Order: sequence, then C-alpha cells, then structure tokens
Amino acid sequence: MNLIFELGILFLICMAGEGIATLLPIMIPASVISLILLLILLLSGVLKERQIRQSAVFLTENMGILFIPAAVGTLEYLDVLKAQAIPFLLITVVSTPIVYFITAWSVQLLMKLFNRKKVQHHV
Amino acid sequence: MFEAMTSSPFFGLALTLICWWLAVRFQKKTGQLIFNPVLVTSVLVIAILLIFHIPLERYNTGADVIKMLLGPATAALALNIYRQRAILKQHFWPVVLGCLVGSLASILCVRLLCRVLQADGVLLNSLLPKSVTTAIAVSIAEGTGGLSGLTAAAVIITGVEGAILAPVFAKLFHITDPVAEGIAIGATSHAVGTSKAMEIGELQGAMSSIALCVCGIITSVIAGFFAV
Repeated sequence: MNLIFELGILFLICMAGEGIATLLPIMIPASVISLILLLILLLSGVLKERQIRQSAVFLTENMGILFIPAAVGTLEYLDVLKAQAIPFLLITVVSTPIVYFITAWSVQLLMKLFNRKKVQHHV
Repeated sequence: MFEAMTSSPFFGLALTLICWWLAVRFQKKTGQLIFNPVLVTSVLVIAILLIFHIPLERYNTGADVIKMLLGPATAALALNIYRQRAILKQHFWPVVLGCLVGSLASILCVRLLCRVLQADGVLLNSLLPKSVTTAIAVSIAEGTGGLSGLTAAAVIITGVEGAILAPVFAKLFHITDPVAEGIAIGATSHAVGTSKAMEIGELQGAMSSIALCVCGIITSVIAGFFAV
C-alpha cells in the first residue's frame, strides 16, 4: 500500500479518537481510544493488515525516538526532580520487582487453574 | 545567525534525529541494555542545550513535530495485538486478568510508596503510569496533572531495570511458566522489557508484547481514579 495513503488512514483514526475522547465520561487518552478503534477495524475486517502495515511497523519500530521530546522536557522540572530525587528513584526502582512478582504469580496460578479445567472438560 | 538557526523547527528535528541515530549505534556496539537509546539520546540533547545555552522552547519548536507522531504510533500498537490474536485467544483469561492484576499492583504500589515516603501529589501523578509504555504513560500523566518529563524518565528507568533483571526475577520468584513470565515482563517493563522477553523465548516475547498493550489500555482507564 501507498505509505501516504496508510498515514492518511492512521491520522484519520487518530482524529476520530480525539473526538470520541471528548464524549467519554471517564478520561482515557485519545491515543488509547485510537488503538482500540484500529484494533476493532482490523478484527472486524473493515481494514486489512496490508492497508496499514508499512506505516504501523515504521512507527512502532522507531517508537523510541518519539519519547525524546518528553524526556528532554524533564529539563524544565530539574528543580522538582532535584528536590524529590530520592523518593522518585526509590519508588521507581522498588516497585518494579513487586509488580513483576505479583503479576507473574497471579498468571502462574491462573494458568494452573485454567489448564486443570481444560483437562476436566476432556474427561 | 545562531539564534535564527536554533529557533527554526529544523534545529530540534536534526538534533533529535542525529543524536538518536548515534545512540542506537552506540547501544548496538556495546550491547548493554543500560545504554538505552532513549536514555542516551536524552542526556546528549540535554547536554547540548545546556552547553550552548539554548532555551528549551527553541528545541520544542522542532520536538513538537516529533511528539505529534506519538498518537499515531500508540494507535499502531493495535497491529501487535492483532498479529498475536491467535495466542491471545488461547490464553485470553490469564492475559486479561494478569494484566488487570499487574496494572492495579503497579498503581497501588506507587500510591503506597508515595504515602510512606511522603512524596507530593505531582510526583504521585507523574509516577502512577510508570509501568506502561511511554506513549500511553505520557498521555495519562498529562491528563492527571503529572509532569510528563518525570513520567518519561520513570518509565525508561523501570523498563531498563525490568529488562536487565527479568532473568533474575524469574529465578528468584520461581517463575517456570513461559506465559506467566512473558506477561509479567510486559506488565512491569513494557516495550524495553519486551525486547528482552523476545531474547528469552518466542512465547515470552509474544505474551510480553500483548501485555504491554493490554496493560496500557487498562492503566489508562483506571489511573484517573487513583490520581490526586
């Protein structure tokens, strides 16, 4: 597919996402709504994978560079960061293994539960 | 002349693109996760702005063009879920429930630690979405009144930490199920972790890339209720 056309479709979906975001009673980022919208379009077959593949792969593979403006923006809050450096780092670093542990164990238990159910069904 | 050049959007664009290219090459050469290209590029750009006394607003003239693509890039993640739909269907409930638990765990953990350390509200709002992919985390923080720069920094630190320690965590916590391992990596350390999960195994990589999308969606819906 033509890359220009693909980007046009993607921008159109994002535009719709921005509109829907203002209608929802709870606050969900427009980009997430666009993600869900695109997923629905793909799953329902309205949009084919090849109609957005090139642009989607390009954007997701080079996603990292899109975070630079936000990260450089920290410069503006350097004094906030300096004042709160210790809680900031502590919270960020300490919560990671806790979240991993809780998630991994929950899924591991769920997998055992669901597999057992499946076996019972077969019997 | 210097001012005219740095005031044009091309300054921010050229600086970001070239530093990014250098950082990606640097990581490939060293092979170290700690030299995350986002981290290295940000440090490079900040250093250049500080050394040459260039105000952030001038950089932003060009950077805003790059930032604008974050929305379409987030939407494009839908393709990741779509491509993994067969495996998602196979493990639907463990994925959805696991991601719900993971998202809640991350948010509650940040809230609890913020209370213990008596951190202020702005810091809390900035850190709430720390476990989800930067694109979604930044828009969540902007919506809840956090500082998106702090959020981006926390997300990247979390991602690098999770990616480096993922094999250690699996051993330490006795995680033997590849589905559980993949979801936990994706739920904890989003896209950076997913690249590591792909090295660990194909199933882990697939689960991790699904989890990062699903957790992003769940967190964006529930984070607002936990912000102050």
